Amino acid sequence: MELTIENLGKRYGRDFALRQLSLRCEPGMLGLVGPNGAGKTTLMRMLATLLDPTEGTIRWNGQDICAHGETLRQVLGYLPQEFGVYREFSGRQFLRYLAAMKGLPKAIGHRRVEEVLEIVQMAQMADHKLPIYSGGMKQRIGIAQALLNNPELLIVDEPTAGLDPAERVRFRNVLASLTSNRIILLSTHIISDVEAVASRLVILQEGQMLADTTPEALLASASGKVWSVTTDQATAQRLQAAYPVSTMVNQVGGVMLRLISATRPLEAAVVIDPSLEDAYLLATGQHAVLV
Amino acid sequence: MTTTALTGYRKSPEASGRQHPLVRVLAWELRRFRASRLFWVQALGFFCLVLFVAWAQQTPDQYYFGPNLNGFVAGTSAWGLIQTLPPASLLLLGLLVPFVTADGVTRDLQRRTHELLMTTALPTWAYVWGRYLMGLLMSLGLDVLLLFAYLGMGLLLHLTVPDYPTPEIGNLLLIWVGMVVSATVLLSSVSFALGTVFPRQSLLVKFVIMLVWFVGAVILPAGFGNKTTPPAWYSAWDPTSAATAQRLLLPYRPDFAQDHVVTVTSDAQVQHTLLTLENRLPDLGAWFTPHLMEAGLSLLLVVLAAFMFQRFRNAFTG
Repeated sequence: MELTIENLGKRYGRDFALRQLSLRCEPGMLGLVGPNGAGKTTLMRMLATLLDPTEGTIRWNGQDICAHGETLRQVLGYLPQEFGVYREFSGRQFLRYLAAMKGLPKAIGHRRVEEVLEIVQMAQMADHKLPIYSGGMKQRIGIAQALLNNPELLIVDEPTAGLDPAERVRFRNVLASLTSNRIILLSTHIISDVEAVASRLVILQEGQMLADTTPEALLASASGKVWSVTTDQATAQRLQAAYPVSTMVNQVGGVMLRLISATRPLEAAVVIDPSLEDAYLLATGQHAVLV
Repeated sequence: MTTTALTGYRKSPEASGRQHPLVRVLAWELRRFRASRLFWVQALGFFCLVLFVAWAQQTPDQYYFGPNLNGFVAGTSAWGLIQTLPPASLLLLGLLVPFVTADGVTRDLQRRTHELLMTTALPTWAYVWGRYLMGLLMSLGLDVLLLFAYLGMGLLLHLTVPDYPTPEIGNLLLIWVGMVVSATVLLSSVSFALGTVFPRQSLLVKFVIMLVWFVGAVILPAGFGNKTTPPAWYSAWDPTSAATAQRLLLPYRPDFAQDHVVTVTSDAQVQHTLLTLENRLPDLGAWFTPHLMEAGLSLLLVVLAAFMFQRFRNAFTG
């Protein structure tokens, strides 16, 4: 199985949400990261046959999905960033409904629903009506529906939004367990999610591909460029204005900064091991501050 | 979350037992509405309302020719139905049906279930036609409730009101098919087609259809008054049946006034004469076929909407 994207672009009015994107994906997990408005959701929706590209092509096993969308949809699992449910249904009924819409025969659909409920640990709650579900439970039902047809291409857009930390870890593990013999595209702005499970990383910014790399290579690119320094408030503010800062913590002895710079930013600064988040900030030139 | 393995199915022998996609959509839509308590409450409310309307219009015409010489037209007779259905129960139905059918597809956009459904292998035509047929089925269900309400009320009045005749089922069915069912199919198709083609204006679509129906059923016929007869073509093709009724009622009243009243001498005779007249089958030739043709032609709008439906819809710009 192979997903090929060539010179893909999407324009809304005069503005391009995505431009000149080319990618070739084989089985495994590709993490798609980028700031808000980078074009991640637009790309995901074009791959899920929900949006038609303005330019370029998307091919699934050599077939253009604009012309042969139904071929892709047979093997597609998609979890949108936001989705609704039918309030009349319980979780189990909703999954059975979507299994039927995906074309699964009744007996197989019922069996598959039980399997995915087991995977997302919702079997106990499956007979409750959907309106009483919490955000995290609803998200798990969303994940379950994406897995119903045992998809060859699984597209998950911000899947861990709304999940508590324990659920996030469990979900990452589920995704990791599904990578063999399928292509998984995981869009997120939570770098630790990608770090934990993706073998390949694509960074989008302002609708264009900034990097197509691996987490290891991205980390290596930031090696020797991440510094830690504890200083007074005024100096901290000056450094914050001059460099990308990933962490800023007020402590008793001053302000501790973790910043990114090709050269030593201050005499007292010490070089530290970069995290993937640092490397991402270095690549995108973004500032992210945690106080 | 656990790591249960997913079983394959594409090559399994069970995979051959797939339902037709249209049947799948219909079956599940039916299940969805069956599971909705609100739907049943609304249906019950409509039934009670029509029952009340049928009761309130049990004697739409009363005739007094002296202190001991009077009679009434039964609301569930052919005469009574032609007189009372278009401006009352059919008007109610006309105002309700757009809300039942216009959102067949649009509701998925509003509920944000559109993306989940459009990324399944469900063919577009099956989705659109399934939703339409479900809406039509529900609307026809309302028609059946209306029929039962009139039939039930007719029987109840027959048992409780002296001289109230038993409803003539044949007449009732013909008027029901020609006026109610044809209007329901037309309204369902127009509402669904416009709602599907203009999903973001579905509320406007519903109100415009309601307004047009109200004008057709109440305002325009009032313009003709009691003395002017609507043109024959208009009476034949009026989907609200209001103008149709104005023309259909003409043979009943003159017949009664000119041919019979002069010869009757008691209440019983008046009522017997009225009974003969009121259950006479109306002339179907002029309007029945046009009404059914309108209903049939409206299906073309659904065909058009199915072609125009955008699976690639920029539903949630992001």
